[in-house]
Amino acid sequence: MGQEAQPARDKLNGLHPRKIEEIMISMNQPEVLKEVSGPWKSRIVWQDGFRVKAYMRNHAVEMDEPGALDASDKAASAHEQLLSAVGSCLAVGFVLNATRRGIRIHDMEIALEAHFDNILKWAGQCDTGNPGYRGITAKLFVKADADEVTLRELWRLAYEGSPVTQSVVRGTPVTAEFGAL
Amino acid sequence: MTQQQLFPVTVVGSWPRPPYLIQALRRRQGREITFEEFQKVADQAVLEALRLQEDAGVDIVTDGEQRRDNFYSFVVEKLGGMQLMKVSQLMDYMKDRARYEEVLRALDVPAFAIKSPIVVARLTEKNGLALDEMDFLKKNTKRQTKIPLPGPYMLTRAAYFEGLSDKAYATPEELAADVIKILRKEILALKARGVDFIQFDEPTLSQIIYGAESTETFMCAALPNRRDPMEELSLAVKWMNETVAGIDGVRFGVHVCRGNWSRREEVLLKGNYGPMLPHLMEMNIDQLVLEFATPRAGELEVFKEYRNEKEIGFGVVNPRTDAIETAEEIVTRVRKLAAFYDPEKIFLNPDCGFGTFAERNVNTAEVAAQKMKSIAKAAAQLRSDFKGTRTESAHSH
Repeated sequence: MGQEAQPARDKLNGLHPRKIEEIMISMNQPEVLKEVSGPWKSRIVWQDGFRVKAYMRNHAVEMDEPGALDASDKAASAHEQLLSAVGSCLAVGFVLNATRRGIRIHDMEIALEAHFDNILKWAGQCDTGNPGYRGITAKLFVKADADEVTLRELWRLAYEGSPVTQSVVRGTPVTAEFGAL
Repeated sequence: MTQQQLFPVTVVGSWPRPPYLIQALRRRQGREITFEEFQKVADQAVLEALRLQEDAGVDIVTDGEQRRDNFYSFVVEKLGGMQLMKVSQLMDYMKDRARYEEVLRALDVPAFAIKSPIVVARLTEKNGLALDEMDFLKKNTKRQTKIPLPGPYMLTRAAYFEGLSDKAYATPEELAADVIKILRKEILALKARGVDFIQFDEPTLSQIIYGAESTETFMCAALPNRRDPMEELSLAVKWMNETVAGIDGVRFGVHVCRGNWSRREEVLLKGNYGPMLPHLMEMNIDQLVLEFATPRAGELEVFKEYRNEKEIGFGVVNPRTDAIETAEEIVTRVRKLAAFYDPEKIFLNPDCGFGTFAERNVNTAEVAAQKMKSIAKAAAQLRSDFKGTRTESAHSH
């Protein structure tokens, strides 16, 4: 409260570096840390066929499956959105670290790719193996005002500090609960 | 036309840009400097590129396309109604985004790296497309001059993007009519300034033939759409002939190659000229400026059926390698062609430019100069072997 808005000319990469720095430091305060730590929530509501809608705070995202699976293919699938979530989180981390170091980003893209290890398990055609991704590759393309060594370091920081990426990398347990009506 | 020796040596167009020029180009694209300020920087780079060509023994010189972002996108500065847009900016307008994704993956490039001039309003003319280039070149060289221009097919197809361009032109054909009108006016203005050679770049014709079932593209935003190859080639012939109809006194060439954006030969297109030749021969132009220095270009023998119908701008060095082809190697290659092709119809050039895309020079100026010296040395040997000069009269089409 009471913080003055910084003029647009003080922006870097669309962010206010001073404000960002203050926010990062404020996360050491227990009440701020508690707030940003969670719980984070999503509610998935089945629509029809393979189509669902995910509600997160005041946002909603549709998910579907490709037409080859007899689905309506009205939206990207959950496994594609997992790749997007990993990539988006990496992008946020990269921008955060670049901005804190005063580095201007001109363009940035992250291309992600993954193969299922054993999709036959999802299809009910076998009982063993991992139906999930065997591995995910995320390639960063960036044009920024810094040398390659610096940019590689930002990429490392983004990867190691990415909550979504690290949830995947560290195999965060998912507890499956149940309620029938 | 002026008297010319056998085996004239020329370049396809672009010369590697020095870092200071690329810096200025970025600043110009970011609107940090004016067009005039950029031109001053580019003047210096043109002079350097020109001196290197002259010292290497190039008979027909270009300005190295130093003022251009690439061989076709530069028109954005020269015409109203166009915007230089990144593919990343076009993604929201794409009908088949999944196919573009495949193209980007195959090329291993980000969407922000591919820029195309996109038509967003009716085209309006300013002061010509390459008249400033021609004026400066003419003032600074006594050699014959070549001006490369984007061909009518390339320019229309690359610039027409559904969702953006259809607001100004209902169809690509409607846009082509304006493009042809602009190119014709440009040709006449260049002719009045004394240009010797106008080369139309139509590299996307190889995309039509060899890339139809693959994901490779010529790094143009609007090209990955699948179309009927024969219909497209017929359209390219029609538009080219409408562009040059009734104009003589200038040598017209058409340049076709299979990609020049990477040093990785395996990502570039491949295939012989056979399927394309019946169409290229229908174009009312003097010369086909072609690549032949790599196996990707296929067998030379496909030209036997069309011998002497057109001049051949014979690609004898690979612009993307560090190794300098020797004059002896070049002489051997030319002799193979001259065995069944009139030596008077053979020009010598590299396969393509040395810096097609400003920020993706495929070679250094030093290597480019050495390669051109090798070609010039080979030309001298061949002139001596074939012992002849020729006197040309005005060309007719």
